[in-house]
Amino acid sequence: MHTPARTRVRAWRTLFAVFVALALLATACGSDSAEPVVDTQAVDDANAAAAAAQERADELEAELEEARSAAEAAGDDSDAAAALEEAEAALADAEAAAADAESRAADAEAAAEEAAAAAASAGDGEATRSINVAVVGNPAMIDIEELTPEYFTAETGIEVNYTVLDEQTLREITTRDLGTGGDQFDVAMIGMFEAPQFGANDWLFNLNTFANNDPDYNVDDLIPAVRGGLSANGNLYAAPFYAESSFVMYRADLLEAAGQTMPEAPTWDEVAAIARAVDTDDVAGICLRGKPGWGDLGAAFTTVLNTFGGTWWSANEDGSIGTSQVDQPEFLAALDFYVDLLQDAGEDDAANSSFGECLTLYNEGKVAMWYDATVAASFFEPEVLEVSDFALAPTNVTDASGWLWAWSLAIPASSSDPATAWEYISWATSAEYHEQLAGEKGWVAVPPGTRTSLYERPEYLEAAEAFAQRTLDAMNAAPINNPGTTPRPGLPGVQYVGVPEFQDLGTRCTAEISAAIAGSQSTADAQAACHAIAQEFES
Amino acid sequence: MSTTETNVDEASAKSSITTARAASARADAVDALQKKERRRRRLPLLPALIFTIVVTQVPFLFSLYYSLTEWNLLDNKPREFTGFDNFTGLFSKQGFTDAVVASVTMTVSAVLLSIVVGTGLAVLLDRKFFGQGFVRTLLITPFLVMPVVAALVWEEQMLSESFGLVNWLLETIGFERIPFVTNYGLWSIILVLVWQWSPFMMLIVLAGLQGQDSSVLEAARVDGATSRGIFFQITLPHLRPYIELSILLGAIYLIQVFDHVEVMSGGRPGDQNVRHFVYQRSIGLAFEFGEASAYSVIVVIATIILATMGLRVLSNLFEGEDPA
Amino acid sequence: MLGALAWFLGLTFFFPIAWMVLNGFKTEADANGDPMLTFSPTTEQYSTVTEKDLFGEAFMSSVVIVLLSTLIVMILAIPAAYALAIKPVEKWRDVLFFFISTKFLPIVGAILPLYVIADYLDLIGTRTALVVLYTAMNLPLAVWMLRSFFAEVPRELIEASQMDGASLWGQITSVIMPIVAPGLAATALLCLIFAWNEFFLAVQLNFANNQTVPIWVLSNVDDRSPFIARISAASTLATLPVVIAGWVAQKRMIRGLAMGAIK
Repeated sequence: MHTPARTRVRAWRTLFAVFVALALLATACGSDSAEPVVDTQAVDDANAAAAAAQERADELEAELEEARSAAEAAGDDSDAAAALEEAEAALADAEAAAADAESRAADAEAAAEEAAAAAASAGDGEATRSINVAVVGNPAMIDIEELTPEYFTAETGIEVNYTVLDEQTLREITTRDLGTGGDQFDVAMIGMFEAPQFGANDWLFNLNTFANNDPDYNVDDLIPAVRGGLSANGNLYAAPFYAESSFVMYRADLLEAAGQTMPEAPTWDEVAAIARAVDTDDVAGICLRGKPGWGDLGAAFTTVLNTFGGTWWSANEDGSIGTSQVDQPEFLAALDFYVDLLQDAGEDDAANSSFGECLTLYNEGKVAMWYDATVAASFFEPEVLEVSDFALAPTNVTDASGWLWAWSLAIPASSSDPATAWEYISWATSAEYHEQLAGEKGWVAVPPGTRTSLYERPEYLEAAEAFAQRTLDAMNAAPINNPGTTPRPGLPGVQYVGVPEFQDLGTRCTAEISAAIAGSQSTADAQAACHAIAQEFES
Repeated sequence: MSTTETNVDEASAKSSITTARAASARADAVDALQKKERRRRRLPLLPALIFTIVVTQVPFLFSLYYSLTEWNLLDNKPREFTGFDNFTGLFSKQGFTDAVVASVTMTVSAVLLSIVVGTGLAVLLDRKFFGQGFVRTLLITPFLVMPVVAALVWEEQMLSESFGLVNWLLETIGFERIPFVTNYGLWSIILVLVWQWSPFMMLIVLAGLQGQDSSVLEAARVDGATSRGIFFQITLPHLRPYIELSILLGAIYLIQVFDHVEVMSGGRPGDQNVRHFVYQRSIGLAFEFGEASAYSVIVVIATIILATMGLRVLSNLFEGEDPA
Repeated sequence: MLGALAWFLGLTFFFPIAWMVLNGFKTEADANGDPMLTFSPTTEQYSTVTEKDLFGEAFMSSVVIVLLSTLIVMILAIPAAYALAIKPVEKWRDVLFFFISTKFLPIVGAILPLYVIADYLDLIGTRTALVVLYTAMNLPLAVWMLRSFFAEVPRELIEASQMDGASLWGQITSVIMPIVAPGLAATALLCLIFAWNEFFLAVQLNFANNQTVPIWVLSNVDDRSPFIARISAASTLATLPVVIAGWVAQKRMIRGLAMGAIK
């Protein structure tokens, strides 16, 4: 018959063995992102530790057996108590053994880690170098992912692991990873909003040294406005992969049929009048962003707000956030203009539309005009491109209103091997990559807006004839240092306020504006709600 | 085994000489045995309990501490202890009360509607007809679909004003297209939740229906009861524990809904639940870690109070005989 | 008549899924245009979404994480259920309530500390982190369901086996298991489903390495071009394993859940 003590020890032993096995399995599976060679070592070591623990447990059981039979032989109370005590002691021993085995496993792991570090530092020769790159999911990134093995890895021996994320998730994750000094990425794609802020926070490597010492890179070829927007205190913190401004795209055929002409540099009143004139049941007059998000509706609306003479916050003398300007009449004027235009002549379900939806609608011929990023023209179907024309971003009281944005590649300050990361960045953002991509996919597919030289290439100008010059004009016209009529914090920046707080304000407030576009609240209510949010950040 | 051993101990004690020393030794031994028995009973529980405490409660303690600090990741300043500062003005923040209302509406209506729909489906399925197994298979599938996928399918392919099939059908039969997700965000999310969870409720209720004693039903029918009467007088009371189980499980999962909201809600006032709101205060948008932790603490406390009340109501689930 | 209604509802419930599968075989142009049932099917989307390296990696990670976490859940939950149902500890109701109450804790409230702790332990982007968290996520449900199943086991059988001197493990494997097997299967299946479909924790912790299937699905969402057909193909592939498992095990699930309600 089994005694309770023995049952207990057996159950305990079984459980313990299972745990050790599972812990091993989990460790083995979990760390497979590290060096595989070293992993086997770690597993072997840990196995040895587990075996030792098992042996200890076996010994213990034998001891316990002895103690038990001794107790039975004596058959006396005091002896029973003694046996009990011994069983307790055995349990304590077993616990000690567990601790021991665990510490051994920990030692094994530490050893494995050390070995991994050693291998990494000594690995210049044989081991292939690899980097993790986080990028936003869009066609330009799918292209580069495709070209990397042939044009980059084959040349340099550096393997590139891409993490493709949607814009919002990418932002969350890069912000958190960089901000907490994480080391998940060697290269992270960030926007023009983030680059100067993260740079000023010392979260990124200063790319000046790399770029200046790399004569092939030709840093002076970068379009000045873009380079300026990605810099803080004269230091370049991210290299532009593609850049965009905003302009008006329109179907010349539809406008002509309706007897409308679009000026080269229209005002918003002119655009609104044309939109209302060409709007029919089947074809909406204009597509504008209405989806909540500081980078969606927030971007388009802020350019309108700027040129209507309004802004989000005033600036204190030291450049910090002053008081909310959302309660000003200019804000309501811009808001009413935007919402009315969308409700009168905007696309279906405007409150849930952004770049992607508008692109689809424009390509399908369901909208006659579209105010959005210059990059959109690269995605037009050929037959649509043929009947399309382009005009500068509409203005009201300012001279220019187009935004400026660049998705760009940066190196986190925590990176252990910035030189390798730069090797990748200098390839991905080079004129050489443009040529390689053009060879595979044609010149229209080349990421626009980053290098002046692209706009001097006859092949590109021919292929992108319809929009190349307009894009360059728009980029150069973007009023990045003086987007409105009043002083504001967070410059440079057009379609956003370049302070961390703007993400929060922009996203929550555009949700209110979106609700106004959907018709579920008045613009005055939206304005009041936005004002309350903007006031939270006053200083 | 414990009882036998105690008996042996008692017998041997009777036969032994009753010296003071022996008696106290015996008392100790019995005491030790009782303790041991308790510990022996606890032992199999401990791994699960310790694991759960460590993984679920330790992070909460961190949250508790963070909630007393000023910590914004984007400020690039070190964390600073500020006491209860974060807790002032939590409720006046634009959007929070909306989120609370949305959360309550979402959980309550999704659970109740799923129960009703699920019970209806179960009753339909609990009869012999051609292809019964196949129809059941069709019906449970929505429950198995990944929540992000379900939300995407409904938003982009069913309800979307421009591309959605539902709107195409509406237009074809002569109605206006309706931007469901934009204008009725909360109810669109509830629709998808009910679509996913009523199959689960159906499974539980179906289990109850199939466990029904057919002789009782037969007897009732012989006594001349109408089928409606049978359903309300006999079947429904029989189903009570099953429905309570559905409510409990449904509430547990539906109060935590995140993926659907993240995909379908633009965060417009009224269609964002508390979980999504707190997420935006924290790692999702504002990176106000101190303030977000204060919200989590409030939410956890409120949820525990609500859950305790809810479980009291459903206390049947915790009753049942108490085995020795 | 009611049979026809059941058929109608079954098809209605299934329709969005069927439509998704159909869209996965269309070109983007067809999927974004007016709905039509006639189109020239293409497997173009399937090759696009499976071409990515992430496809294989994500499936591998998901399988390992989901199976391992479910296994650990079972190993922890079975003895716990025993201690709550067969030889109950004192205050077993409070213990059970504690387990269930952890399910009410909003994960979002814990994600920041979880991130900080995982970062400190160097577990970001490892399978270990998700295995541990999915185990914690499913354990309360498993303990709770298994307890009900264990309470079903006739006491006489257990007492008899105790007389025969069976150990705890012996009791579990030879007496209890055969009786609760359907319940066990139902519980394990639910754990598998919830772990396979989990998105929030996965994207917060394993965004760069060891990404799981839901992350792969969403990596096909594109801000700058239409993606309905592509995402439909990816969704179909991602949903398939769990759907098949659910279809195969539906009868067991019903039996299992039946036991869960009564006790």
